Amino acid sequence: MTEESQNNDSDQIPATSGQRSDAEVTPTPAPVANDQQNWLKSRVAKWSESGIISDDQSEAILNYEAVPEEPLRLGLKFNRLIVVLSTLGAILIGAGIISFVASNWQGMPAIAKLVLLIGGQTAAYAIAYQIQFVRGYPRIGAAIMFTGAAWFGSNLFLVAQSYHLPTDNPDILILWFIGILPLAYITRSKSITVMAVSIFAVGITWKIGNWADNSENAFIIIGTLLLASAAIYAVGMLHLGREKLKFHAGPYLVSGALLAIGVTYLLTFEENFRSTASRSIIESNSATGAQYALVAIVSIIAIAALVISDRFSSQINRSLFARFAEPAIVALVVALGWVLVTHLAYSPMGYVVIFNLLLILLIFGTITLGIVKKREALVNVGIIFFVIDLSTRYIELTIDMLDTSLAFIVGGLLLLGVGYTMERARRKLLIQFGIKEVSHDS
Amino acid sequence: MTPKLKRLFIAVIVIQIVFLLGIVGYRESILISGRTAVLQTVPIDPRDLFKGEYVTLRYEISTLGVFTNNPQVKLYRLIGDITEGDTVFVELPAGENFDKRLLAVQADEPTSDVDLFIKGRVTSSKSGIITVEYGIEQYFVPEGKGLEIEQADEVEVRIKINRSGTAAIQELIVDGEVWRP
Repeated sequence: MTEESQNNDSDQIPATSGQRSDAEVTPTPAPVANDQQNWLKSRVAKWSESGIISDDQSEAILNYEAVPEEPLRLGLKFNRLIVVLSTLGAILIGAGIISFVASNWQGMPAIAKLVLLIGGQTAAYAIAYQIQFVRGYPRIGAAIMFTGAAWFGSNLFLVAQSYHLPTDNPDILILWFIGILPLAYITRSKSITVMAVSIFAVGITWKIGNWADNSENAFIIIGTLLLASAAIYAVGMLHLGREKLKFHAGPYLVSGALLAIGVTYLLTFEENFRSTASRSIIESNSATGAQYALVAIVSIIAIAALVISDRFSSQINRSLFARFAEPAIVALVVALGWVLVTHLAYSPMGYVVIFNLLLILLIFGTITLGIVKKREALVNVGIIFFVIDLSTRYIELTIDMLDTSLAFIVGGLLLLGVGYTMERARRKLLIQFGIKEVSHDS
Repeated sequence: MTPKLKRLFIAVIVIQIVFLLGIVGYRESILISGRTAVLQTVPIDPRDLFKGEYVTLRYEISTLGVFTNNPQVKLYRLIGDITEGDTVFVELPAGENFDKRLLAVQADEPTSDVDLFIKGRVTSSKSGIITVEYGIEQYFVPEGKGLEIEQADEVEVRIKINRSGTAAIQELIVDGEVWRP
């Protein structure tokens, strides 16, 4: 089974098949008997409740089999509402408790603080488990489980605060990540996976950013961030190779892509290189052993994840390009990360050219991979940075050449042109994915 | 959830709780059984002093290696090669009859000759002068209460130090009186 053939993630666009033309976007359903319809309805409901398929996929299956719209399908439409209401409810409860704690914190005896913090966190987990896995209300349970995971993080900060420990410390975020990551896999919670990976990305960026002391450190910081982004993305690729882990791949892929493209974007400006040192990190001996160790660890994670994900993936009917294009891009990011870390040659223009080319490769690579792997979030990340990069280059190019008002007019016309082209491309994508677009005018 | 996953779920929750209790237990052990020392704070930029939730504290021992002729001020002698990022152990005056003026700052753990020491991390090292942080540079206060500390003439900090040199803030002494929030 190839990684594209079965989609278990709710952020993936469901694959459907059927006759398509430019005029017709709804696939032709196959007729089924009533008892088969009833069987299918009950199975789809069970699969959806278990999280095996998303609501969009449930709808697509029932649409394809021409199951008439009945309470079950109406029920599926309420699923999103349930998730929204449950999550809002959990957030309100959490906010209320935090507000109560904050206003009464100083007057509370230490033992009361401890009971409230740890007892509340444990109660959230226990209630979530009961509701999600015993009573069979997975969405409400998942929202409360998310609250418990968030509570653990706030407990770390509150305990640090109670003992006057520094809270502006990225290690707290790293500890939070370590504490909740196993929970994300055990409870199959995408929301906790997103929270964990986001916290890790912010924490590692902050930790590496704290190395900033002089211009010689800048190279090792940026290089390490590039390596970290490659490692995060490669771990996402690793998840795609295992059926049970595929569910968690999205947050890693999106976070890795976002960090890689964001860091590379910063490296496309010559000014950023002119202000940095000309001596290499090795020559100046300005990096510590701990910094080199972190660089080595993230590099090993990135390469190991790439190698293992290649072994996990099915290679049946895969061309060389399909097999190696994505790992090659990740490996290129790792290599360029090391070029920055070691900073063996000093050439601002050389760096600018290389990283502008890398940015273009990453943007179009992300969009292409998003389309091929049917990951809407990756496509969105690619498109957003495409617009940012296009706007930046346009402004760089025209700021000294054109009168400001003329630059705005030309820029506006260009953006309209890009928008029109993208709208046409979007319609083709929807047709390819077999998604029927609802007109808001009807 | 399968029984195995349920056991793993419970294990993760227990580990989270044990970790939090571990932090609490460790800090409480320092406060209960650690040795007491009082550190004099030094004035810093008032704009940085109070950051809403916490007061930033700087001590006489935050910058070491500076020479002064003032006989009332302790001198700190850097022993060995100390660079940024190193963990250092700073000797502190112990007891009322402590008469040493020259105190040791070293990267190796002190021998039994040194009665009381505090552990810190070097954040900068230039021309023989080092800046050290000891993990006691923030003191959290209720909102709106920091102004009293900010406007005080003299602020001292009573700390507790365990045998490995880790310090914990016990209380602030503002203008000679223990400060209560």
